[in-house]
Amino acid sequence: MKLSTKSRYALEGMLYIAVYGKDKLLSIKEIAAGTTVSPAYMEQIFFTLKKAGLVSTVRGAKGGFALGCPENEITVGTILRAIDGNLVPVPCAASLSACKSKVRSNCVSRNVWIRISQAISDTADKQTLEMLKNQFIQEGEGAENENIH
Amino acid sequence: MKISTKGRYGLRAMIDLAINSSEGCTSLADISHRQDLSLNYLESIFSYLKRAGLVVGIAGAQGGYMLAKPADEITLYEIMTVLEGSMSVYDSFGEETKIRSFLNRNVWDVIDKNVNEVLTGTTLADVLKNMETSRLSGDCSGL
Repeated sequence: MKLSTKSRYALEGMLYIAVYGKDKLLSIKEIAAGTTVSPAYMEQIFFTLKKAGLVSTVRGAKGGFALGCPENEITVGTILRAIDGNLVPVPCAASLSACKSKVRSNCVSRNVWIRISQAISDTADKQTLEMLKNQFIQEGEGAENENIH
Repeated sequence: MKISTKGRYGLRAMIDLAINSSEGCTSLADISHRQDLSLNYLESIFSYLKRAGLVVGIAGAQGGYMLAKPADEITLYEIMTVLEGSMSVYDSFGEETKIRSFLNRNVWDVIDKNVNEVLTGTTLADVLKNMETSRLSGDCSGL
Protein backbone atom coordinates (compact mmCIF):
# COMPACT_ATOMS: atom_id res chain seq x y z
CA MET A 1 0.00 0.00 0.00
CA LYS A 2 2.53 2.58 -1.15
CA LEU A 3 2.12 6.30 -1.72
CA SER A 4 3.52 7.46 -5.04
CA THR A 5 7.07 8.80 -4.93
CA LYS A 6 5.64 11.83 -6.69
CA SER A 7 3.43 12.72 -3.73
CA ARG A 8 6.28 12.14 -1.27
CA TYR A 9 8.58 14.41 -3.29
CA ALA A 10 5.80 17.01 -3.42
CA LEU A 11 5.63 17.12 0.37
CA GLU A 12 9.43 17.31 0.57
CA GLY A 13 9.46 20.23 -1.88
CA MET A 14 6.69 22.06 -0.02
CA LEU A 15 8.38 21.61 3.35
CA TYR A 16 11.65 22.80 1.80
CA ILE A 17 9.98 26.03 0.67
CA ALA A 18 8.32 26.52 4.06
CA VAL A 19 11.65 26.12 5.86
CA TYR A 20 14.12 27.78 3.49
CA GLY A 21 11.96 30.08 1.38
CA LYS A 22 11.12 32.60 4.05
CA ASP A 23 13.26 35.49 2.83
CA LYS A 24 13.59 34.71 -0.85
CA LEU A 25 11.89 32.91 -3.68
CA LEU A 26 13.39 29.52 -4.46
CA SER A 27 14.15 28.21 -7.94
CA ILE A 28 13.32 24.66 -9.01
CA LYS A 29 17.07 24.06 -9.13
CA GLU A 30 17.46 24.98 -5.46
CA ILE A 31 14.43 22.96 -4.37
CA ALA A 32 15.59 19.96 -6.40
CA ALA A 33 19.12 20.17 -4.99
CA GLY A 34 17.81 20.51 -1.44
CA THR A 35 15.64 17.42 -1.76
CA THR A 36 18.00 15.41 -4.05
CA VAL A 37 15.26 14.99 -6.64
CA SER A 38 15.97 15.56 -10.34
CA PRO A 39 15.10 19.13 -11.41
CA ALA A 40 13.00 17.86 -14.35
CA TYR A 41 10.89 15.69 -12.06
CA MET A 42 10.54 18.42 -9.43
CA GLU A 43 9.45 20.84 -12.13
CA GLN A 44 6.70 18.46 -13.22
CA ILE A 45 5.54 18.08 -9.61
CA PHE A 46 5.52 21.84 -9.05
CA PHE A 47 3.49 22.33 -12.21
CA THR A 48 0.77 20.19 -10.62
CA LEU A 49 1.11 21.97 -7.26
CA LYS A 50 0.78 25.31 -9.00
CA LYS A 51 -2.39 24.23 -10.80
CA ALA A 52 -3.78 23.26 -7.40
CA GLY A 53 -2.92 26.72 -6.07
CA LEU A 54 -0.51 25.35 -3.47
CA VAL A 55 2.48 27.27 -4.83
CA SER A 56 2.77 30.49 -6.81
CA THR A 57 5.51 31.73 -9.11
CA VAL A 58 7.15 35.06 -9.66
CA ARG A 59 8.95 35.65 -12.93
CA GLY A 60 12.20 37.48 -13.40
CA ALA A 61 15.79 37.38 -12.24
CA LYS A 62 14.83 37.18 -8.57
CA GLY A 63 11.84 35.01 -9.38
CA GLY A 64 10.95 31.55 -8.17
CA PHE A 65 8.42 29.64 -6.12
CA ALA A 66 6.59 30.60 -2.94
CA LEU A 67 3.74 28.95 -1.06
CA GLY A 68 0.39 29.69 -2.68
CA CYS A 69 -1.54 29.92 0.58
CA PRO A 70 -0.74 30.39 4.28
CA GLU A 71 1.29 27.50 5.63
CA ASN A 72 -1.20 26.86 8.44
CA GLU A 73 -3.88 26.20 5.81
CA ILE A 74 -1.88 23.67 3.82
CA THR A 75 -2.09 20.16 5.26
CA VAL A 76 -0.24 17.00 4.29
CA GLY A 77 -3.59 15.70 3.04
CA THR A 78 -4.06 18.67 0.70
CA ILE A 79 -0.66 18.11 -0.88
CA LEU A 80 -1.06 14.34 -1.27
CA ARG A 81 -4.53 14.72 -2.80
CA ALA A 82 -3.31 17.41 -5.20
CA ILE A 83 -0.85 14.88 -6.61
CA ASP A 84 -2.60 11.51 -6.25
CA GLY A 85 -6.23 12.56 -6.56
CA ASN A 86 -7.37 10.88 -3.36
CA LEU A 87 -6.02 9.17 -0.29
CA VAL A 88 -7.90 5.89 -0.43
CA PRO A 89 -6.15 2.54 -0.93
CA VAL A 90 -9.29 1.01 -2.50
CA PRO A 91 -11.38 3.17 -4.89
CA CYS A 92 -14.75 2.11 -3.41
CA ALA A 93 -13.85 3.87 -0.15
CA ALA A 94 -14.19 7.19 -1.97
CA SER A 95 -17.16 6.24 -4.12
CA LEU A 96 -19.17 3.03 -4.30
CA SER A 97 -19.76 3.56 -8.01
CA ALA A 98 -16.03 3.01 -8.57
CA CYS A 99 -16.72 -0.68 -7.85
CA LYS A 100 -17.90 -2.74 -10.79
CA SER A 101 -18.75 -5.89 -8.81
CA LYS A 102 -22.23 -7.39 -9.12
CA VAL A 103 -22.35 -7.83 -5.35
CA ARG A 104 -21.13 -4.36 -4.39
CA SER A 105 -24.35 -3.44 -2.59
CA ASN A 106 -23.76 -6.33 -0.17
CA CYS A 107 -20.02 -5.85 0.04
CA VAL A 108 -18.51 -7.50 3.10
CA SER A 109 -15.17 -5.70 3.05
CA ARG A 110 -15.86 -2.09 2.08
CA ASN A 111 -16.20 -1.05 5.69
CA VAL A 112 -12.63 -2.20 6.36
CA TRP A 113 -11.29 -0.10 3.47
CA ILE A 114 -13.22 2.91 4.74
CA ARG A 115 -11.72 2.53 8.21
CA ILE A 116 -8.20 2.23 6.79
CA SER A 117 -8.83 5.30 4.61
CA GLN A 118 -10.02 7.22 7.65
CA ALA A 119 -6.91 6.28 9.61
CA ILE A 120 -4.78 7.67 6.77
CA SER A 121 -6.83 10.86 6.25
CA ASP A 122 -7.13 11.63 9.96
CA THR A 123 -3.35 11.83 10.24
CA ALA A 124 -2.74 13.58 6.92
CA ASP A 125 -5.43 16.22 7.45
CA LYS A 126 -4.26 17.08 10.97
CA GLN A 127 -0.69 17.94 10.05
CA THR A 128 -0.17 21.41 8.57
CA LEU A 129 2.93 22.62 6.80
CA GLU A 130 3.36 25.17 9.60
CA MET A 131 3.45 22.43 12.26
CA LEU A 132 5.94 20.39 10.25
CA LYS A 133 8.13 23.43 9.61
CA ASN A 134 8.28 24.39 13.28
CA GLN A 135 9.02 20.83 14.31
CA PHE A 136 11.71 20.51 11.64
CA ILE A 137 13.42 23.72 12.72
CA GLN A 138 13.20 22.71 16.38
CA GLU A 139 14.78 19.32 15.66
CA GLY A 140 17.54 21.03 13.68
CA GLU A 141 18.29 23.40 16.55
CA GLY A 142 18.36 20.48 18.96
CA ALA A 143 20.88 18.68 16.77
CA GLU A 144 23.03 21.80 16.48
CA ASN A 145 23.08 22.31 20.23
CA GLU A 146 24.15 18.71 20.71
CA ASN A 147 27.10 19.38 18.45
CA ILE A 148 28.12 22.42 20.49
CA HIS A 149 28.04 20.66 23.86
CA MET B 1 -1.69 4.24 -2.91
CA LYS B 2 -3.38 1.00 -3.79
CA ILE B 3 -4.22 -2.33 -2.24
CA SER B 4 -3.86 -5.04 -4.91
CA THR B 5 -6.71 -7.23 -6.13
CA LYS B 6 -5.08 -10.08 -4.25
CA GLY B 7 -5.46 -8.15 -1.00
CA ARG B 8 -8.96 -6.94 -1.79
CA TYR B 9 -10.36 -10.25 -3.03
CA GLY B 10 -8.51 -12.23 -0.38
CA LEU B 11 -10.03 -10.26 2.48
CA ARG B 12 -13.48 -10.58 0.95
CA ALA B 13 -13.04 -14.34 0.67
CA MET B 14 -11.84 -14.60 4.29
CA ILE B 15 -14.86 -12.64 5.54
CA ASP B 16 -17.16 -14.81 3.41
CA LEU B 17 -15.51 -17.91 4.86
CA ALA B 18 -16.02 -16.59 8.39
CA ILE B 19 -19.70 -15.88 7.69
CA ASN B 20 -20.35 -19.27 6.16
CA SER B 21 -18.13 -21.55 8.21
CA SER B 22 -20.67 -22.40 10.91
CA GLU B 23 -21.59 -25.65 9.14
CA GLY B 24 -18.22 -27.17 8.36
CA CYS B 25 -16.19 -26.20 5.37
CA THR B 26 -16.98 -24.00 2.39
CA SER B 27 -16.05 -24.72 -1.21
CA LEU B 28 -14.23 -22.12 -3.26
CA ALA B 29 -16.95 -22.54 -5.89
CA ASP B 30 -19.51 -21.27 -3.36
CA ILE B 31 -17.32 -18.31 -2.37
CA SER B 32 -16.70 -17.58 -6.05
CA HIS B 33 -20.44 -17.56 -6.69
CA ARG B 34 -21.41 -15.48 -3.64
CA GLN B 35 -18.62 -12.95 -4.04
CA ASP B 36 -18.55 -12.76 -7.83
CA LEU B 37 -14.83 -13.64 -7.91
CA SER B 38 -13.04 -15.91 -10.38
CA LEU B 39 -12.54 -19.46 -9.11
CA ASN B 40 -9.05 -19.65 -10.58
CA TYR B 41 -7.97 -16.53 -8.78
CA LEU B 42 -9.48 -17.70 -5.50
CA GLU B 43 -7.53 -20.96 -5.80
CA SER B 44 -4.29 -19.07 -6.12
CA ILE B 45 -5.15 -16.73 -3.24
CA PHE B 46 -6.10 -19.65 -0.99
CA SER B 47 -2.79 -21.34 -1.60
CA TYR B 48 -1.15 -18.33 0.09
CA LEU B 49 -3.68 -18.27 2.92
CA LYS B 50 -3.21 -22.00 3.50
CA ARG B 51 0.59 -21.78 3.53
CA ALA B 52 0.33 -18.94 6.07
CA GLY B 53 -1.82 -21.12 8.33
CA LEU B 54 -4.93 -18.92 8.14
CA VAL B 55 -7.15 -21.55 6.48
CA VAL B 56 -7.13 -25.34 6.29
CA GLY B 57 -8.18 -27.33 3.25
CA ILE B 58 -10.26 -30.47 3.51
CA ALA B 59 -10.07 -32.94 0.65
CA GLY B 60 -12.94 -35.00 -0.68
CA ALA B 61 -16.37 -34.63 -2.22
CA GLN B 62 -17.68 -32.58 0.73
CA GLY B 63 -14.32 -30.79 1.03
CA GLY B 64 -13.39 -27.16 0.92
CA TYR B 65 -11.80 -24.66 3.26
CA MET B 66 -12.34 -23.52 6.80
CA LEU B 67 -10.66 -20.96 9.04
CA ALA B 68 -7.63 -22.44 10.77
CA LYS B 69 -8.44 -20.56 14.00
CA PRO B 70 -11.59 -19.09 15.54
CA ALA B 71 -12.65 -15.85 13.82
CA ASP B 72 -11.90 -13.83 16.96
CA GLU B 73 -8.26 -14.94 16.84
CA ILE B 74 -7.56 -13.85 13.26
CA THR B 75 -6.72 -10.16 12.92
CA LEU B 76 -6.97 -8.12 9.74
CA TYR B 77 -3.26 -7.45 10.18
CA GLU B 78 -2.43 -11.16 9.73
CA ILE B 79 -4.63 -11.45 6.66
CA MET B 80 -3.41 -8.28 4.97
CA THR B 81 0.28 -8.91 5.56
CA VAL B 82 -0.03 -12.41 4.10
CA LEU B 83 -1.80 -11.01 1.02
CA GLU B 84 -0.02 -7.67 0.58
CA GLY B 85 3.30 -8.03 2.34
CA SER B 86 4.12 -4.82 4.20
CA MET B 87 1.17 -2.47 4.71
CA SER B 88 3.47 0.53 5.14
CA VAL B 89 2.69 3.58 2.98
CA TYR B 90 6.36 4.01 2.06
CA ASP B 91 9.61 2.28 1.16
CA SER B 92 12.95 3.83 1.99
CA PHE B 93 14.48 5.25 -1.15
CA GLY B 94 17.14 7.63 -2.29
CA GLU B 95 19.51 9.55 -0.12
CA GLU B 96 18.41 10.00 3.51
CA THR B 97 18.24 13.79 3.43
CA LYS B 98 17.26 15.64 6.60
CA ILE B 99 13.83 16.42 5.20
CA ARG B 100 13.26 12.85 4.02
CA SER B 101 14.14 11.23 7.31
CA PHE B 102 12.15 13.90 9.17
CA LEU B 103 9.02 13.13 7.09
CA ASN B 104 9.55 9.37 7.47
CA ARG B 105 9.51 9.71 11.25
CA ASN B 106 6.88 12.42 11.65
CA VAL B 107 4.40 11.75 8.86
CA TRP B 108 4.69 8.35 7.17
CA ASP B 109 5.47 6.36 10.32
CA VAL B 110 2.55 8.05 12.09
CA ILE B 111 0.18 7.07 9.27
CA ASP B 112 1.55 3.51 9.36
CA LYS B 113 1.03 3.35 13.11
CA ASN B 114 -2.60 4.47 12.84
CA VAL B 115 -3.35 2.02 10.03
CA ASN B 116 -1.70 -0.79 11.98
CA GLU B 117 -3.81 0.02 15.02
CA VAL B 118 -6.95 -0.53 12.95
CA LEU B 119 -5.58 -3.75 11.46
CA THR B 120 -4.24 -5.32 14.65
CA GLY B 121 -7.23 -4.14 16.67
CA THR B 122 -9.83 -5.71 14.39
CA THR B 123 -10.50 -9.45 14.13
CA LEU B 124 -12.65 -11.27 11.57
CA ALA B 125 -15.22 -11.70 14.35
CA ASP B 126 -15.30 -7.88 14.81
CA VAL B 127 -15.93 -7.43 11.07
CA LEU B 128 -18.88 -9.81 11.27
CA LYS B 129 -20.22 -8.10 14.36
CA ASN B 130 -20.01 -4.67 12.66
CA MET B 131 -21.91 -6.03 9.66
CA GLU B 132 -24.64 -7.32 11.95
CA THR B 133 -24.88 -3.97 13.74
CA SER B 134 -25.16 -1.97 10.53
CA ARG B 135 -27.73 -4.46 9.18
CA LEU B 136 -29.84 -4.05 12.32
CA SER B 137 -29.60 -0.27 12.31
CA GLY B 138 -30.50 -0.40 8.62
CA ASP B 139 -33.63 -2.40 9.47
CA CYS B 140 -34.63 0.05 12.19
CA SER B 141 -34.36 3.02 9.88
CA GLY B 142 -37.34 1.66 7.96
CA LEU B 143 -39.64 1.78 10.98
